[in-house]
Amino acid sequence: MRTPNRRQALGAGLAVAGVAGLSACGGGEVGAADAGDPVKGGTLRVGVTGGNSADTVDAHIPVNNGDVCRSVNLYNALFGWDDDSQVVPLLAESIEANSDSTVWTCTLKEGIKFSDGKPITPEDVVFTFERINDPDDPKTAAANFSMLDKVVAKGDRAVEFRLNEANGLFKDAVAEYTAGIVPVGYDPKDPVCSGPFKLKSFTAAQSTVLVPNEYYFDHDKLYLDEVEVLNFNDDDALINALLSTQVDAIAGIPLALVEVIGADERMTILNSKTGMWLPFTMRVDKKPFDDVKVRQAFRLVVDRPQMIEQVLSGYGTLGNDMFGPLSENYPKFPQRKQDIDKAKKLLAEAGYPDGLEVELVTAPIQSGAVESAQVFAQQAADAGITVKIRKVDATTFFGDEYLQWDFAQDFWYTRDFMPQVIACSLAESPFNETHWDDPQFNKVFAKARAIPDAGERRDLEHELQKMLYDDGGYIVWGFANQVDAFQKYVGGLVPNSTGRPLSGWRFDRVWIGEV
Amino acid sequence: MFGKVIGKRLLFSAFILIAVSLLVFGATLLLPGDAARAILGQQATPERIAALNEQLGLNQPAWQRYLTWLGGLFVGDFGTSSATGGPVSELLGDRVWASFVLMGLAAIISVPLGIGLGVYQALHRGGRRDQGMTGISLVLAAMPEFVIGIGLIAIFATSVFQILPAVTLAPPGEPVWNRPQQLILPTLTLILVVTPYIVRMMRATMIEVLDSGFVEMARLKGVPEKRVIMRHAVPHALGPVAQVVAIQLAWLAGGVVVVEFLFRYPGLGQALIDAVTYRDVQVVQAISMLVAAVYVVVNLAADVVGILTNPKLRSAA
Repeated sequence: MRTPNRRQALGAGLAVAGVAGLSACGGGEVGAADAGDPVKGGTLRVGVTGGNSADTVDAHIPVNNGDVCRSVNLYNALFGWDDDSQVVPLLAESIEANSDSTVWTCTLKEGIKFSDGKPITPEDVVFTFERINDPDDPKTAAANFSMLDKVVAKGDRAVEFRLNEANGLFKDAVAEYTAGIVPVGYDPKDPVCSGPFKLKSFTAAQSTVLVPNEYYFDHDKLYLDEVEVLNFNDDDALINALLSTQVDAIAGIPLALVEVIGADERMTILNSKTGMWLPFTMRVDKKPFDDVKVRQAFRLVVDRPQMIEQVLSGYGTLGNDMFGPLSENYPKFPQRKQDIDKAKKLLAEAGYPDGLEVELVTAPIQSGAVESAQVFAQQAADAGITVKIRKVDATTFFGDEYLQWDFAQDFWYTRDFMPQVIACSLAESPFNETHWDDPQFNKVFAKARAIPDAGERRDLEHELQKMLYDDGGYIVWGFANQVDAFQKYVGGLVPNSTGRPLSGWRFDRVWIGEV
Repeated sequence: MFGKVIGKRLLFSAFILIAVSLLVFGATLLLPGDAARAILGQQATPERIAALNEQLGLNQPAWQRYLTWLGGLFVGDFGTSSATGGPVSELLGDRVWASFVLMGLAAIISVPLGIGLGVYQALHRGGRRDQGMTGISLVLAAMPEFVIGIGLIAIFATSVFQILPAVTLAPPGEPVWNRPQQLILPTLTLILVVTPYIVRMMRATMIEVLDSGFVEMARLKGVPEKRVIMRHAVPHALGPVAQVVAIQLAWLAGGVVVVEFLFRYPGLGQALIDAVTYRDVQVVQAISMLVAAVYVVVNLAADVVGILTNPKLRSAA
């Protein structure tokens, strides 16, 4: 079974105000030409791999692909992310920080309602964040809101978020899809929704049926009568269902099959560039990787273009040991290339003149993970590095030793640089796989975090990026495209950089054209 | 006497089932990771694992969970699924029926078909048709079920003709048999896997019986050929074939896993794969017990058929 568990981070609750987001992308409306002009009516049948009996419609604990899909369509957060990974308002009208970014005041849109017709109030927002931050049962987004001290309702439409530290990135955090707004007394067994759709039926691991939420603020702009999300165990069954027209669109196809499926004239391929990365993770506090020369040598043995060609069938962009490629402040460091001689020299200086042997732990955590481990082992051999690949299943990988492996892999979806650091490169980060904890780095980061404006943060961000580029524990060889396929009669699916399939799961702008 | 033999077998079967449950439980303990980690996957932060373990009752020691489960079994309670938090029986109810329908259809068609074809071949042995059918059944017997399944999908659903559905897409709550055309390919796959063995065994046994003394005697006595075959030869050949049929039917119970996976058929096989991946021990045990029970029952039935079709054993009983 392929990668049932996926994390997406800042690629958040993207159900942006209807078609407005669509025109904003400017990336060409793939499929729209074939599907004709938007028409009302029809059912969209979507195939998704993954899903199991623990599937959920709970707004705050999505784990796998299907969970995220349901979450994005059933719930709206205060803000969300558009196709170009820019933060845009959803349920909120605006959010403002005070002078030192410790208090954020958010104003809700006027007249917005839940799917049961009740108005969405500041009290509901307070309830939502208390539910996420419940100390006895912290939800997925809790790690992003550790700085949140108190949420206070102010009047009819305003909510005040009081933080216990200066944080300029709070707006990004509330834009995550894991922070969808739910009503006071929310019961996931019979969910009341704040998103463009509401739940008609749901059977874990099998199917989910969504229907338009007539109280949604952009309800008039929805085209579909119904959305059916069907779970599949594996890619073969998924692709067979598409080819036999049993489903209209499928989320994610194996990159090696893109050409084959694209050659079928009934199909459209949706190819989205994303900031999705599949790094190798070296623990900077464990031998041999505690020596920065070893880390540098490992980064120099990778032939990145070959990696993208062999692992991603060419559907990806070049990595430079730096995450957050869509970030406004992504640095222009010299592109790191394969340099075996220099790698050997560095290894000799680090005390390994005859090369060394390391164990690389890999698992099918994401398509391409195991393949990239194999390609890496081959490339590293040229520099005298013997890579012993230890392949485990995904559950073992995320088991007791998760985040403790000396040399392993991981995958991340599109995030900006700063939130990504919070997630993985601070001592208190929930997913610090490389155990990166540098005093100077932490100091600069604390300073940068307090600044809400990305432009004003630029120099500090570059300083942080330089440290990671020179000394960090990640080998970032590339960013994988998200490639989906759908029947030509499906309209409204556009390239989306969040890394979430099928236009970021945004079914609120999809229509079924002439078959 | 006959009843006593059966009673002994039943008691023995119960012991086998308990042994199976112990083995399965032990095996799932050997798998690294637990349900909470498997469910959370990459989201597995210590806080979330602790919260989920608490919710799932996974803090109890393994032996205690096993005994609770075994105790529940005696009162017909299959326990609580770690993944859903609901009763296992609720999770598996529809799936048991779905798998049963698939297996039943395959069995109802392939057993008579296999026996009929075997008899036909035995009666026309050495002929061109016999040789042709032997070739086909050999090829089919050598092919794994997923190869046959993928082949059928390519021919009838996706590539050559697009006339049959490639996967099963019954809406939740709707029984699979409401959409019969979705049952065709998975059933056909199972039939093509199971039948060749029955054909080959039936042909061989039938030839042996036809060559035996009592058939010759019957013919010499002037019994009409049709009666010789139907009343004398076929019943004698059925005893040994019952064993092969039993093995094949028992295989269906376990082998249906691959076929269900391939066709996205909402049966036990799918549930089992899911449960193993997510370390849902109670569900793994329940399904293993069901499959083991099918083995036991089917073998028991084969023994009964063997006794009933064997005059010597029948009279001894």
